Amino acid sequence: MEIQTLSRTRRLLLLYCSFFRITALVVGGGLAMLPVIEEIFVVKHKLLTREELLDMTALTQTVPGIIAINSAVYIGMKIAGVPGAITAAAGAVTPPFTVILIIASLFPHLDPKNRYLLGVFAGIRAAVTGMILVTGCRMFRRTVKNPLEIAVVLIFFVLAIMKVSPALLILAAVPFGWYYVWWQTRRLARAEQSNGDSSKVSAESSAESAKNEEDGKC
Amino acid sequence: MLNHCIILFFQFCKFSVLCFGGGYMLIPLLTAEYVDQEQVLTMSEFGNLCSVAQVTPGPVGLNTATYVGYVNEGFFGALAASLGLILPTILIGCSAAAGINRWKDTFLVKGMLKGTRLAAVALIMFAVTIFLGMSVFTQTIPWEAFGALFKLARPVLPEGFRVSPAGVLICGATIVLMLKTKLPTTALLLGAAAAGAILSAWF
Repeated sequence: MEIQTLSRTRRLLLLYCSFFRITALVVGGGLAMLPVIEEIFVVKHKLLTREELLDMTALTQTVPGIIAINSAVYIGMKIAGVPGAITAAAGAVTPPFTVILIIASLFPHLDPKNRYLLGVFAGIRAAVTGMILVTGCRMFRRTVKNPLEIAVVLIFFVLAIMKVSPALLILAAVPFGWYYVWWQTRRLARAEQSNGDSSKVSAESSAESAKNEEDGKC
Repeated sequence: MLNHCIILFFQFCKFSVLCFGGGYMLIPLLTAEYVDQEQVLTMSEFGNLCSVAQVTPGPVGLNTATYVGYVNEGFFGALAASLGLILPTILIGCSAAAGINRWKDTFLVKGMLKGTRLAAVALIMFAVTIFLGMSVFTQTIPWEAFGALFKLARPVLPEGFRVSPAGVLICGATIVLMLKTKLPTTALLLGAAAAGAILSAWF
C-alpha cells in the first residue's frame, strides 16, 4: 500500500493541494466534485477504494452541511485522521474564499445601470432557477415514496411560504421523522402478524425494498 | 466589529448544522435571516450574490457564505462566516466517519433522516419560488394576493408583477438542456449569461 510509504506531512500536503485544486476548478455543487475526487484519490494515488468512495457519497448526503466540505472532511479523516480532516477542509475553503473576496471588492465599481450587465445577471439567475428546480425534482423522486409523504412535503412547503422560519421547520421535521418511522415499522409488524395477508404483505415489502435499492442507485 | 463577527460565526454554525441536503438549502435559511429579518440585503442583491456564487468555482454554499460575511462585516466577516460553516462539519464529520456504520440503521438516525429529507425537499422547492420571483417573474411572488382565492375572489396582483419573457426562455432552456444533454454546469451558465446579455438588448 502506498499509504504507508507517504509520510504524514506529505499526506497532509497532498490533501491540501488536492482539495485546493478541486474547489478551484470545479464549478457547481459538491456532487460535481465526485468524478475529480475519484480521479485523484482512487485512480492516481490509490489512497481510497471505490467502495470507500461510495460510502462517502452516501455519508456526505446524510450528515448536515455542505456536500463539498463533508467530502473533504471525510476523505481527510480516512487518509490522515483529524489533522487530515482540518487540512482538507482548509484546502477546500481557500480558493472560493479568495475568489469571492476579489469579486466582492470589485462589485461596487461595476455600473449598476449597465443594461448588458443587468442582462447577464438576469440570465444567470434564470439558469440557476432551472438548476435548483431540477435538483429539487431529483431529490423529490429519491425521497418521496407515497401520497402521505407528498402531503407532508406540501404542508412544509406551505408553511415555508407563510414565512415560518426554515430553521424551525427543519427542527420540527426531526421528531416528525421519528414518529413516522416508528408508525411505519409498527404498521408493518401488525400486517405481518395477521397471517391471512402475510404473503401479500411480504411481496409488497420486497417490491418496496427493490424500489428503494433502485432509487439508491440513481 | 468583533461582536458582529462572533454573531456571524455562530449564525453560520447554525446554518451548517441545519443544512441537510446540500448547499441549496442555504437559500431559504439565508433569505429568512438576512433579507426578511435583519434586512442587510435586498432580494435582488441576494439574487445577484447567488448568481456570483453559482458562476465562480467552488461549492455554492461556501461562496454564498463568504459573500454574505463580506457584505456584513468585510474581510473578517467573510472569514467568520466561512469558518462558522465548516467548523460543525469538521466536528460532525470526524465523529460520523468513525461511527456511521454502527448508527446507520438505528431508529433515531433513520427517523431523523426521513424527516429532514422531507423538509429539505419542501424547502428547496421554496427556494425555487424565491428564485422564480427574480427571474421568470419581475417581482417576488405575491403569495398574500393568492389568499383571495380562498374567498373565491380574483387575486389582485401588484403593479409591475408580470412574466419576463427572457427569464422564461432561459430558465426553460436550462431545464431542457440539463435533462436531455450532459453539458457541464459551466457551459450552461455561460450560455445563460450570453443569452441574458443578448436578450437584454431586445426587451
